[in-house]
Amino acid sequence: MSQYIIGIDLGTTNSALAFAEADSPEVTLFPIAQLANAGEVAEFDLLASSLYLPGEKEFVEGALALPWNPQPSSIVGRFARIRGVENAGRLVSSAKSWLSNQASDPTQPLLPLSAPEGVAKISPLEASRQYLLHLRSAWDQAHADAKLAQQTVLITVPASFDAAARDLTQRAAKLAGYPEVTIMEEPQAAFYAWIERNPDWRERVKPGDLILVVDIGGGTTDFTLISVTDQGGEMQLERIAVGDHLLLGGDNMDLAVARFAEQQFAEKGTKLDALQFHALWQQGRAAKEVLLAEDAPASQALTILGRGSGLVGGTIKGKIARDDIRQLILEGFFPIVPADAVPQRNRRAALLEVGLNYAADAAVTKHLAQFLRNAGNAKPTHLLLNGGVLQSSAIEQRLFEVLNSWQKNGVVELKNDTKRADLMHAVAHGAAYYGKARTGKGVRIRGGVPRTYYVGIESSLPAVPGLAAPMKALAVVPFGLEEGSKVELPQRKFALVVGEPAEFRFFSSVTRRSDAAGFMLDEINDSLEELAPMEVLLPPHADGQREEIVPVTLESYVTETGMLELWCVAADGRRWKLEFNVRERAAAA
Amino acid sequence: MSRISAAFSSFFSLLFSGVLPESVATQFGYMKMKPAAAPPPETPKIKITDGALQMLQTLQRDARLVDFLMEDIAGYADDQVGAAVRSVHADAKASLARHVTLAPVIDGVEGTNHKLDGGKAPDPNRIKLIGNVPASGKAPGGTLRHRGWQATSVNLPPIGKQDVSIIAPAEIEIE
Repeated sequence: MSQYIIGIDLGTTNSALAFAEADSPEVTLFPIAQLANAGEVAEFDLLASSLYLPGEKEFVEGALALPWNPQPSSIVGRFARIRGVENAGRLVSSAKSWLSNQASDPTQPLLPLSAPEGVAKISPLEASRQYLLHLRSAWDQAHADAKLAQQTVLITVPASFDAAARDLTQRAAKLAGYPEVTIMEEPQAAFYAWIERNPDWRERVKPGDLILVVDIGGGTTDFTLISVTDQGGEMQLERIAVGDHLLLGGDNMDLAVARFAEQQFAEKGTKLDALQFHALWQQGRAAKEVLLAEDAPASQALTILGRGSGLVGGTIKGKIARDDIRQLILEGFFPIVPADAVPQRNRRAALLEVGLNYAADAAVTKHLAQFLRNAGNAKPTHLLLNGGVLQSSAIEQRLFEVLNSWQKNGVVELKNDTKRADLMHAVAHGAAYYGKARTGKGVRIRGGVPRTYYVGIESSLPAVPGLAAPMKALAVVPFGLEEGSKVELPQRKFALVVGEPAEFRFFSSVTRRSDAAGFMLDEINDSLEELAPMEVLLPPHADGQREEIVPVTLESYVTETGMLELWCVAADGRRWKLEFNVRERAAAA
Repeated sequence: MSRISAAFSSFFSLLFSGVLPESVATQFGYMKMKPAAAPPPETPKIKITDGALQMLQTLQRDARLVDFLMEDIAGYADDQVGAAVRSVHADAKASLARHVTLAPVIDGVEGTNHKLDGGKAPDPNRIKLIGNVPASGKAPGGTLRHRGWQATSVNLPPIGKQDVSIIAPAEIEIE
């Protein structure tokens, strides 16, 4: 058995690692050694999820050395972010958002998007691998007698990550030399962290309660509903709904503040360059935190020091008013909207530019309204907030105000006594706690897969020339299928030709939660989202000649580590696993 | 190879470069000899002043302190200087805190009486007596005017191959 249980929050902008000893209840945050500057290694609670691809003679020899690697080929962490501001063409960031991006193949070298010719780009998968590898190396450096590969490791992903993105996360871990990892959902991890910090939690929620978890990270916003039920006198927790994947987070808010301040400077005739803008961004973030807190001052000064050695002379002064910030953040991102609000949809251009598919509507509250409606007009009784952005009391109050305007019964906040301390690290914490819960030392949320999955089946209607045959969708994985269980569909047979790859179009839905396995949906509509196709290749016969058609049935299986697997099973018991083909997905989009 | 030409080429080669020519060495079976051990790797020589320059480098990088100190600020209005100083101060403080742990020498309240051992003169490193200092240099106590500062720990990265005399590199932006 492993000595430690390790929870990793692999975030869009920052990552964290927490661990617990297998036989102790304590969960501890691991300080991560990383380059703080050229030639300086220091430990920080967070590892910046940034990667810099240094040029050949860019740094003095040895300046990038890490305790475990004298000559790393890339920089990971804080210094990558610092240097990346000065030279953005070599900076890889937001790799995580690219893992779930439908419009490009995350295994292809795409990043940095704006790299000049001559810089060898890397894939989002490779960037994720490097972050995980850095974490592993830092851990191994500190635990020579308990290497990470021998421990129990959990990695969190947004609840809204689809099966292909989860698969890629696990692949990145495997490539980084991790043991078999368990993938868990971030909002659930945040809830576990709350349980861990509040031993009296059983007195604070009761059967019949419905807990809404709102997790706003740097790059994503995630909603989850957890219901509390009574199972023969035992309190049970069940995750009953998760939201759509929303690329909208704290970074977008900071950028909005910086753009606003930049405009104010521009009105006074001051134009900022890229580095000054970055300084403004940093200051805007700090100002935002101050101005959205309780008892905030009326304004906050912004100072951009002069470039060059004329520091005082070139200093630009400005200030940002509390009312402006509140207007910008509260009305821009958390407006008061009715319960039937609908977020603006993307107007898709005929040719989608390769880039991230940011949420078209910045109003988090509209997305929340839609999420609750899709979850059967859910009326949450409790609210748990997670993520750095939600440390601000003004945003917190606004969320309550909006939620309470939608329903008669007031929502109660699940507060942490130590809440202010670290909404940033709760996810890693919760993951480590959950790792223990799985071994029987703590409560466990039941949930299973957060979506219904379908394979596309060409309808047998005569095809119209020039039009693809209409597709039907066969539910192969029902919503909530639990870890360790499987579903067989014996009634539906597919004919696979030996030696030829067979491909299945693959769809998912977060809203259709009652379709049983085997249910056939006659039309593929808006409630379904197409994922990367799944493919399988039946190995050809040794002689390479004989053609054979094998009738197979589909079998779905959710592993103990939470991974979804689809298998083709022949009558004689032979089995072949279906794998995601992310390349196809990119081509289709 | 003739004996004479081998002898001559060996003679001149040894005289000018200190090694046997390869052809001779091969002919007489000396090639199996291990090459002379490589000189020990050059350990960078760290001068006593390097640490000071490194600290300056650090404060310039993190807080632009050298830019600030080297600028002629006489002509600027107080609010202009003030705005810049707040920024430099915050950054320099954070930088200092990361690299040096500072503590007062005497953890007392300035302006109040502080007892000393009247039997002996205090350690001049730690305590400076000012005012009506007795000829013996010994005093039973006095008013604490300044608590003093001491570095209780220093955490600077090892100096590698960087040129510490460069406090800040010149910056050239490619448009």
